[in-house]
Amino acid sequence: MATFIVRRVLWLVVVLFAVSVLVFLIFFATPGVDPARQMAGRNPTAETIKNIKHEFGLDRPLPVQYGLMMKHIFVSRDLISYGSHTKVIPEILSAAPVTLSLVFGAAVIWIVFSILTGLAAAVFRGTVIDPLLMILALIGISIPVFWLGEVVNLVTQSRLHGFFLFSWVPPLGYTPFTQDPLLWFEGLVFPWLTLSVLYIGFYARVLRANLIETENEDYVRTARAKGISERRVLLRHTLRTSMITFVSLFGLDFGVLVGGGALLTEVVFGLPGVGLLTYHSLTSLDLPVIMTTVIYGAFFITLASALVDLVYAWLDPRVRPA
Amino acid sequence: MAVFEPEAELATLDTEEFGGEVVGRSPWALAGRRLVRNKLAIAAVIVFVLIVAVSFAAPLYASHIAHTNPFESNLSGTFQQNGKTVQVIQQGAGKLGLGETPVGPTWHAKYLLGADNQGRDVSARVLYGGRASLEIGIGSAVLASLLAVVFGLIAGFFGGWTDAFLSRLMDLIWAFPVYLLAISLATVLLTAPNGLRIGFVHLSASSLWVPLTIIGVIYVPYVFRPIRGQVLSLREREFVEAAIAQGASNARLIFSEILPNVASTVVVLLPLMIATTILTESALSYLSIGVQPPNASWGTVIQDGQGLLYTRPWVAIAPGIMIVLTVLALNVLGDGLRDALDPRSKLRMKG
Amino acid sequence: MRARSLFLLIAALGLTATLAACGGSSKSSKGTTSSTSGGAAGGTFIAVAQAAPSGSPDPQIDYTLQEWQLLIFTHDGLVAFKRVGGTEGTKIVPDLATSVPEPTDGGKTYTFTIRKGIKFSNGNELKPSDVKYTFLRLFKIGQSPNAGSWYNVIVGGDACVKTPKTCNLDQGVIANDAKSTVTFHLTRGDPEFLDKLGVPFAFILPTGTPNTELQIPPAGTGPYKWAQYNTNKQVKLVRNPFFKVWSKDAQPPGNPDVILEKFGLSGEAQVTQVENGQADWMFDTPPADRLNEMSTKYSSQVFVNSLTADYYFAFNVRIPPFNNLKARQGVNFATDRSALVKIYGGPKLAVPTCQVLPPGFPGYKAYCPYTKNPGSGKWTAPDMVKAKQLIAASGTKGAVVKVNTDTTDVNKAFGEYFVSLLNKLGYKAQLQALSADIQYPYCQNSKNKVQFCYSSWYQDYPAASDFLNVLLGCASFVPNSNASPNISEFCNKPIQAQMDAALKQGITDPTGANTKWAAIDKAVTDQAPWVAMINPKYLNFVSKRVKGFQFSPQWYFLIDQASVK
Repeated sequence: MATFIVRRVLWLVVVLFAVSVLVFLIFFATPGVDPARQMAGRNPTAETIKNIKHEFGLDRPLPVQYGLMMKHIFVSRDLISYGSHTKVIPEILSAAPVTLSLVFGAAVIWIVFSILTGLAAAVFRGTVIDPLLMILALIGISIPVFWLGEVVNLVTQSRLHGFFLFSWVPPLGYTPFTQDPLLWFEGLVFPWLTLSVLYIGFYARVLRANLIETENEDYVRTARAKGISERRVLLRHTLRTSMITFVSLFGLDFGVLVGGGALLTEVVFGLPGVGLLTYHSLTSLDLPVIMTTVIYGAFFITLASALVDLVYAWLDPRVRPA
Repeated sequence: MAVFEPEAELATLDTEEFGGEVVGRSPWALAGRRLVRNKLAIAAVIVFVLIVAVSFAAPLYASHIAHTNPFESNLSGTFQQNGKTVQVIQQGAGKLGLGETPVGPTWHAKYLLGADNQGRDVSARVLYGGRASLEIGIGSAVLASLLAVVFGLIAGFFGGWTDAFLSRLMDLIWAFPVYLLAISLATVLLTAPNGLRIGFVHLSASSLWVPLTIIGVIYVPYVFRPIRGQVLSLREREFVEAAIAQGASNARLIFSEILPNVASTVVVLLPLMIATTILTESALSYLSIGVQPPNASWGTVIQDGQGLLYTRPWVAIAPGIMIVLTVLALNVLGDGLRDALDPRSKLRMKG
Repeated sequence: MRARSLFLLIAALGLTATLAACGGSSKSSKGTTSSTSGGAAGGTFIAVAQAAPSGSPDPQIDYTLQEWQLLIFTHDGLVAFKRVGGTEGTKIVPDLATSVPEPTDGGKTYTFTIRKGIKFSNGNELKPSDVKYTFLRLFKIGQSPNAGSWYNVIVGGDACVKTPKTCNLDQGVIANDAKSTVTFHLTRGDPEFLDKLGVPFAFILPTGTPNTELQIPPAGTGPYKWAQYNTNKQVKLVRNPFFKVWSKDAQPPGNPDVILEKFGLSGEAQVTQVENGQADWMFDTPPADRLNEMSTKYSSQVFVNSLTADYYFAFNVRIPPFNNLKARQGVNFATDRSALVKIYGGPKLAVPTCQVLPPGFPGYKAYCPYTKNPGSGKWTAPDMVKAKQLIAASGTKGAVVKVNTDTTDVNKAFGEYFVSLLNKLGYKAQLQALSADIQYPYCQNSKNKVQFCYSSWYQDYPAASDFLNVLLGCASFVPNSNASPNISEFCNKPIQAQMDAALKQGITDPTGANTKWAAIDKAVTDQAPWVAMINPKYLNFVSKRVKGFQFSPQWYFLIDQASVK
C-alpha cells in the first residue's frame, strides 16, 4: 500500500510539472503577448513598462520566470494576477465554493436519479419501461449542456417567468450560502438539474448494464438458489457489486467537475466558479490565473483517479494491488 | 506491476461492456444481419443520413429556396412578406426607439426561422453550420481513432518501455482538462499573425482544420485505452501465439492477426466518438474558440442566438435541436453496433 | 482615451477646465442633468456589473471609469471637477485646498493652502506632508500608468520614473505643515496640471500607506470609505464617520448610506435585476435584445447622453492591400454606416460619421466624402458603384484580409459586418476576434501585421489634437511596440507639418488653430486611414426608486448623488 501511495504521489508531481510547463510554453509561444503592456494601461511610457516588467520578474529568462511563478504559487502563495492585480490564490479559493456548491448539488441529484432509473430499467427488463428509460437516458446524454442551459433560462427567466411554477427563480448569478441560504438554493436549482441531466443518463445506462451482467454471476445465482428474496438479491448483491464501477466513475467525473470541468454550466448560468475563472483567464491570457487554475484542475483530476484506484482495490479484492 | 489500469475510465465512452473478451474472427455478416433487425438502429441510421444529406444540400437550399447568401450581412435589407416590404432588422418600438431586432420566423421560404443579428437567414445558416459541424465531428473522430489505433497497436504489441511511455503520455493528455487544452491551443492559433506553420501544413485560424485537429488530438486517449487493452490481451491468445510460433513477422502479425480484431472495436467506437466530438465542437464554438467567422457551425449559430435568446429564441433553439438529433442518432447507432458486434451478447444467446 | 468597453481601461478625463461643448447632455427622456443633488439620504444603493474593474484597485494605479466612479467620493485631490451634471461638471474647483491657485514663475509654481480639520477615514488628520507622501508614492509604486507621462512634469519626476526606489521630490513638492501649504515646482508650464490633480492618481492618501500595490483602496477623506473589495463578489462602500462637508461643489455629502457594486452578473441578468428593483443601476451596456423592452416598458428609467467619441476601423496603411489609397477609399464608399448604427443599437444610440473629429468638438466641421451624393457633410447611403470602381482600379482584389476585433458582442458584430463587406468587394476576409483585454495592444504592435483593426477613442480633453495628433500623428507610431496608439501607422509629412503648426498656433490663438484643425480633419479623412463608423451615446439604466440622476461629462453617472430613499 505504501508503494502504491508513493507511486501515485510521484505521478501527481510529474503530471503537475508537465501540465504547468506545457501551459507556460503555450503562453510564451503566443504572439502579441506582453503582460507588462497589458498591465500598464492606456498610454504608458517605455519606462513604466520596464518598471512593471522588473516588478513582476518578466525581464528574467524563461526558466527563472517559471521557477518564480511556482514559488509564488506553492511557497509564498502570493501570485498576482496580470488582469485584476489581485492575489490569485484567494481568487480561486473564493471561486471554489461556487463550483463545489454546483457540483455537490448536481452529484446528489444525479446519483439518486441514475440509481432509480438504472434499477427500474433492470427490474422491468423485457417490458416497455426498460427501452423507454434507456431512450430517455440516451437523449439526456445527447443534449449539449450549454444549449439545455439556454433553453432553461429562456423558459424560467423569460417566457414562463410570470407563471407560478417559475416565478420564484432569481436572476442568473450566485448568492453565497452564508449570505442567504434560500437564495443560494433557489439560484442553484436549475444549474443543478441542467448539469445532472447528462450524468443521470450516463450513469443509469452504466448501472443497468452492470446489473444485468452481475445477474449472471455465480454468487448471485447461488444467493438466489439459497432462497433469498428477489428484492434482497437485487439490493444486497447485484446492486452492491455493480456499485464498484459506479463509484469509480463517479470519483473521476467528480474530480473533473470540481477541477473546472463544469465550465459550460458556469458560463451559461453566470456562476463565478473555477470554470468561469479559467475561461476568462484563458481568453485574456492572464498567465498567473491560467497557471493556477490548470494546476488546480489537474490536481483534482489526478487525485480523483488515484483515490478511485484505491477505493476500487478496497471494494473489489480481486484487483487488490500486489 | 503493483498498479493496475483504471479500466473503469473506459466507460466514459460506453465501452465498459466489451472488455477483453473478443472472439477470434469477427462474424461481420452475422453482425450486419443483427443490426438490420434492430429497428431502432435502422431508424437512427436513417435520421443521421437525412441530417447529413440536408446539411450537405445547404447551398441548394440557400440559392434555390431561400434565395439568400447566409454568409453576407444584410443589416439594411428588406424583403417581401404577405405583399408588404419588411425590414430585416427593425428599429425598436416604444417612446425611446432603442435597440434593433431582427425579423422573427416567417415560416415561409424566405427567413423561415427568421434572421440573426447580421440579418442573415437562420435556416440556411443552420444547414451550412451542420455541414461544418459534421465535417469537424467526423474528421476529428476519424483522426483520433487513427492515432489511437496506431499508438494502441504499438503500445500493446511491443509492451515494455514503449507501452509505459505511450500510456503515461496518454495519461498526461487525460489529466489536462479537455476544454483548457482546447482553449489554450485555440487562443494561440487565433493570435498568430500568419497562422501556424508545421512543415508543409499551413493552418490559419479560420480554417476548419484547426478545431478538427485540436478535438482530434484531445480525444486520442479515449480510444487509445480500450484498443491497447485489447491488443494486450490479443497478444496472449492462442492464434497469435501460434502465428508467432510459425515465425510470422511483426508486420504480418499486426496487420493480419491483430488489426482485423481491433477493427470491430473501432467500428463500435466511431459513432460514439463522432457524437462526442460534435458535442465538443459545438461547445468550443459556443465559447467562440472553435469555428471562426465567416464559417458557421451549429455551435456558432447558438452563440449568435444567445444574444437574441429572449427576443428571437429560434436562432439558438434550431441548431440545438439539430445537435440533439444528430448525437442521439449516433448514440443509438453506436448501441446497435455494439449489440451486433459484442461477443458477449453471443454468449448470452448460447447460454 | 480609448474604449468604454467592459474590460478595458476607460477613464473619461475632461482634461481642460474651459470646455467648449464636451459631453453635452442631450437628454432623451425626463430627468434633469444639471439639478444639484437633492433627494433623501439613506438606504443602500446596489450597482451591478459583469466583472470587477480590470487592473489594480490601488487608486494610484487603477485607470478605469468603473473604479473612478467610486473613488471620487471616497478620496479627494487638492482640486476637483465640480460634482454636478452637465457642462458645469468640467469646472475645476478647490477641494482639499482652500482655493485654486494662480500659477507663478511663468506657470511653473503652484502653491496650495490645505484646509484644516479634515480627517481621513482612519481618524488621522490631513496634513500637507500627506500630499508630499502621496506624490512620492505615486512614483515609488513603480507601475502607475501615467506617472511617466503626466506627473513627470514635477521637478524630480523624471528621475523618479527611472529609479522609483530612490525617488525623492525634495525640489518638486514642498510641504509645510506649520503654514499648511504645499508648493509644486514644475519643469515647464503645464496648462493641464490642475486637471491632473483632480483625478484619482493624485487623490491624497495618509502618510504611511505602503508603497506597494494595495488590494483595497486605503483610507481617504471623502464621505464614504471602502469596506470590502472582492473582485469575484462585490465592492462595499460605507459612510466615513469622520467626514464633514467643507465644499458642496467639490465633495458634497452622498445620499445612500451604503453603496454596493456586485460582480459576476451577465448583462441580461443585470437588466432583469434593475427592472425588478433588485439592483439600482447596471454598470455595463445593456444587451441589444433588451433595449426594445427597456424603451417600451421602462422608458422613464433610461437616460441617454452624448459622448465625444469615435468608433472606427483602422486600415494599416503600410501593408497590402490597404497601403493603397484607392482600396481604402473604396471600402469607405462601400461601408453602410446605417448598418453599423443598427449594430450599435439604432439611430437613438449612435450617429454615423465619416471623419475623425466628433460633432461638437473644437475644429469640427461636418465632412463626409464617402457617401452617395456627398456635399452636405452628412452620410446618407453607401455608394457601391464608386466603391467597386475604386477597388478594381486599385488592383488589390483577391487579397487576404484579417479583420481584427474584440469578442464583445457589438464589436464582434462590427467585425462580422466588415468580413462580409470585404468578401463582397472581392477580398478574402477572415475574422480575428480576440479578448478585449489583449486586442488593443495586439493591434498596436506593428509586428502583428494587423491589416484592419477595430478601435474606439473617448476624449481625454476637448482639443482636436487629442484625436488627430494622438491617433494619427507621426510620433504616435512606434514600430514593434505594444504602446503605439497610431494603429493605422499613418504618417503623412505635409499633414504632420500642418498639425505642428496648428499646435503652435493653439497656444496663442485657439480659434485660428481650430480653423486649421478643421482643414486637417478634412485632409486626413481624404487620405482614409480609417473607416470612421459612428459617434456613440451613453445609456444608463436605473431602477424605479433612483431619484436625482445626474450625468457628469467627467465622471458620467454620479452614483452618490442619486437617492434611493
